[in-house]
Amino acid sequence: MRSSKMVDIVPVSSYPSHISLLPSVQQCNLTNLPENYFLKYYLYHALTWPQLSFVAVVRSAKPTAYPKVVGYVLAKMEEDPTDGVQHGHITSLSVMRTHRRLGIAEKLMRNSQRAMAEVFNADYVSLHVRVSNAAALHLYRDTLGFAVEKTESKYYADGEDAFAMKMDLKNMQIKDIPDSDEKDEGDAVGSAGKKEETPTNGEKMVKVRVGKQRGVADLVERNEGTGASY
Amino acid sequence: MAQAQVPGQQLSSKDLGLFRQVVRHFESKQYKKGLKTAEQVLKKNPNHADTQAMKALIMHSQGHTQEAFDLAKIALKNNMKSHVCWHVYGLLWRGEKNFEEAIKAYKFALRLEPDSQPIQRDLAHLQIQMRDYEGYVESRRNMLQQKPGFRQNWTALAIAHHLSGNYEDAENVLTTYEDTLKSKMSRTDIEHWEAVLYKNYIIAESGQVEKALEHLEAVGKKSPDVLGVMEMRADYLLRLDKKEDAEAAYSALLDRNPENSAYFDGYIKAKGLQEADPLEAKKAYDEIAAKYPRSDLPRRRPLDFLSGDAFREAADAYLQRMLRKGVPSTFANIKQLYGDASKRKTVQELVEGYEAGEVSSPAGMSDPTEKEQENFKWSVPYFLAQHYNFAASRDLSKALTYTDKCLSIDPKSVDFHAVQGRTFKYLGQISKAAETMQKAQDLDLKDRAINTKCAKYLLRDNQNEAAVEMAGKFTQNKTSGGPLADLLDMQCVWYLTEDGQAYLRQRKLGLALKRFYQILNIFEVWQDDQFDFHNFSLRKGMIRAYIDMLRWEDHLRDHPFFSRMAISVVKAYLLLADNPDLAHGPILNGVNGSAANGKMSEAERKKALKKAKREQEKLEKAEAEKKALAKASKPVPKADAEDVKKEDTDPLGKTLVETKTPLEDAMKFLSPLLESCPNLLDAQKAGFEVYLQRKKYLLAVKCLLAIKSISPSDPDLHVYSYQLRRAVELKQDSVDDKVIDMVKDLGKDVLHSGTPAKDLNERFQQTSLHHTQAYLKVKDMLDESSRKENEKALVDSISKYPESTLPDLIAGLELLQQWGTSEDIIESYKAEARKTFSEADVFQSTKTD
Repeated sequence: MRSSKMVDIVPVSSYPSHISLLPSVQQCNLTNLPENYFLKYYLYHALTWPQLSFVAVVRSAKPTAYPKVVGYVLAKMEEDPTDGVQHGHITSLSVMRTHRRLGIAEKLMRNSQRAMAEVFNADYVSLHVRVSNAAALHLYRDTLGFAVEKTESKYYADGEDAFAMKMDLKNMQIKDIPDSDEKDEGDAVGSAGKKEETPTNGEKMVKVRVGKQRGVADLVERNEGTGASY
Repeated sequence: MAQAQVPGQQLSSKDLGLFRQVVRHFESKQYKKGLKTAEQVLKKNPNHADTQAMKALIMHSQGHTQEAFDLAKIALKNNMKSHVCWHVYGLLWRGEKNFEEAIKAYKFALRLEPDSQPIQRDLAHLQIQMRDYEGYVESRRNMLQQKPGFRQNWTALAIAHHLSGNYEDAENVLTTYEDTLKSKMSRTDIEHWEAVLYKNYIIAESGQVEKALEHLEAVGKKSPDVLGVMEMRADYLLRLDKKEDAEAAYSALLDRNPENSAYFDGYIKAKGLQEADPLEAKKAYDEIAAKYPRSDLPRRRPLDFLSGDAFREAADAYLQRMLRKGVPSTFANIKQLYGDASKRKTVQELVEGYEAGEVSSPAGMSDPTEKEQENFKWSVPYFLAQHYNFAASRDLSKALTYTDKCLSIDPKSVDFHAVQGRTFKYLGQISKAAETMQKAQDLDLKDRAINTKCAKYLLRDNQNEAAVEMAGKFTQNKTSGGPLADLLDMQCVWYLTEDGQAYLRQRKLGLALKRFYQILNIFEVWQDDQFDFHNFSLRKGMIRAYIDMLRWEDHLRDHPFFSRMAISVVKAYLLLADNPDLAHGPILNGVNGSAANGKMSEAERKKALKKAKREQEKLEKAEAEKKALAKASKPVPKADAEDVKKEDTDPLGKTLVETKTPLEDAMKFLSPLLESCPNLLDAQKAGFEVYLQRKKYLLAVKCLLAIKSISPSDPDLHVYSYQLRRAVELKQDSVDDKVIDMVKDLGKDVLHSGTPAKDLNERFQQTSLHHTQAYLKVKDMLDESSRKENEKALVDSISKYPESTLPDLIAGLELLQQWGTSEDIIESYKAEARKTFSEADVFQSTKTD
């Protein structure tokens, strides 16, 4: 009796990894929501911010079999925040109709938010929600504590408006931990060193649109380097 | 340029400038300008190989594959010593996904220009894509030597060593770089801390758990990946049997996320409770549950391991808690217990008890509030409706009764209609099920989940067009291809699978094959998706996730999405091999709309064929009109637009279905299927059927042995064994005697060659409808003159097994159709079947009088 048979909430980047769930996450999204993405877009999330996405699964009785995905949160860090503040963003969240009202969405969100603050030092998390989606609005505002920042007119492809919502995460951030075995407790200077000179090897980075996306301009830099530098 | 001495290859400085422009235009995807500039150079230097190569590369990007290859070859002929030409040649092959040829070309290029970083990099990416670890190590070593100042290059070499199984070198490379770091690293340096954890991951994977733990204790504190460190640490502690620390570590993980059973497993194991009294374990769970009042898992989990009265008590508390809250997914969360018959019975008794009003508040729970009592009124019958729908506890008339009760409470509930639709499906009333789902869908037009269910039910009812219209309510519908193009574009595998299977049932094999190839292609895209990450992940620094991704890609096709499709496609090809007329469209026998492979007179066959061809032409015409309309309404695409989508020249799958070699084509699916899913029963069955037909008896016997080990009493095993035995005993054709001997020897435990086949069949234990079907199939093959008897026996068998499932009963009907049984007997079979499934669509009389 070592395989659990109820709903589990696991990080995609778990040790060991749950990255093999992504095709099922994609189908869960296609089952529930009109905003859909290529698998590559899920990979892009899982390989850029692996700690931020979580999946709700029902494990199979056979340990080797793929568990059933009944919900997920796909999340990221905003890459070029317009306000210059490090913050997370919920790309997509959904739970299968068969598994609603078990509190899964809330738990997925809380796990992701904590990781945003801990791993990437996010000040806040943002998201968009359809103005007509009362259940989701209730979750974000009343249960989790998001606030409506503004309404974005005709945000969705079908013409519906979105509420842009935000929630502060500063209380979950971790301040730099001093090394206990060394006297020097000053601010780390490491990042000033070698890091800024991130090499590009003379490659050209071309911005490529990945996934079908509205609103959020999520771009993946893709290496298009070819016969360069002749 | 090294090749300056080759005649005709020298450019004036002005032309050299133009050539560089060509390269730049290509890189910024300004193909038109690039071509124009290339022409300028070639006007004066008609044989300038590098310019020709660049021109070929641009043409290739514009989709002119053949011309591009032709020109690239001319370029190479003009200057065999140009690394540019070889590099371009490699790029062209890479574009065609011929990675072996691409690697060869890159290697030539690199020999001519050993210091070229772009060539080295392109080669390296292909090597890792192809999992040529040795080659990758070499490439990465070169790249590191060229640019040792970049951390990426060190990490990349470590990755190469790690993947090739050389843990020690991998670790050393990472340590060497770390030692060069002068200052302390800030917590925000994600790349650094990830590299540190990656090193830890390597150490643990090499089996040195103790060392990994030590390292983690030293460096883990500052890592921003807090959860990752906690998970690794807890795992190491448990593996090292440091129970107390492990318990604390898992307890801390549970504190973060009490909904992860892996953490519970670790916690319980660390506490030493795994083999102990389940009641002790329950206590541990109760403590956690008390700590996290909103958590479901610690409450639900003990139901898995408790039994008897303890189970009843815990189940009562859990069920009441959920049903009072009115959680509609309670059943979905309980049904996994039903593998245990006694638990199934207990749950049924409990919930039936609630329904009958025999309910008292469990210990520690207060009496229900008014709201809770209200919830109970619908949540209990809703639970029971699902309970009686479920295979292990099925009683469909009870399910309908409870659904009616639910609907009388709330006639507008989507969920209640949906559960009713499911009951109709199980009753075989496929059309009514689809109608019911449409009703449910109408009640909530904004919910895609019910829309998806509805589209699926329409497909199960073979209503492909209604289904795509339904699904189209939630697709973008901006392209000319309609909703289907959107679903395809978004890689909607479930839809393509169901659509293809619906076509397969209707024997519209062209369209069925089309869908299955589309899924095959999606898997190829998913495999190719990793390519860009070889570079991307090094830049982003998330190495563990990258490694996990590579490893997952290596077994991409063991996913049920792949096997479901592949098994269906093999079935389609077997049908086609059996009846090539199906290439022209469905050949129906008109009895019940299902397809017949049975005997038809030549006149009937011609008539059916003509009708099928007419239908096919109609379809093609409609498709052509649709295309013309789309073209007329679309603006002329810009010639220079980057990904110009290739037009689908065969939307109906005509060229696929007109194959002359269906069984060979099936191998494209069967080979990866058997390789990825060797333990899947239906995969081995598909393999057996194809290999038998292809007279690959050795491979067939291997599948047969696999079937036996997966499912020893499978009725199909009996049929297959006889088929193979007959094939090798007849020893027709050109099959080598040695092969025959090997097959007999390997398969001695399944073929039983020593016993007469007839005796074996008579001794075969008939324990179910399926078994009887197998017996009759073999009997019929042994002696075709027994057909009439067998038909009768098949009809009579139904009453012997009143517990038969719908699929088994349908299989019997299909067997009769295969035998070309007369309409009268088919009608009597249906009449018998109606005694169990009175309303099932397939068993309704189709008598015309």
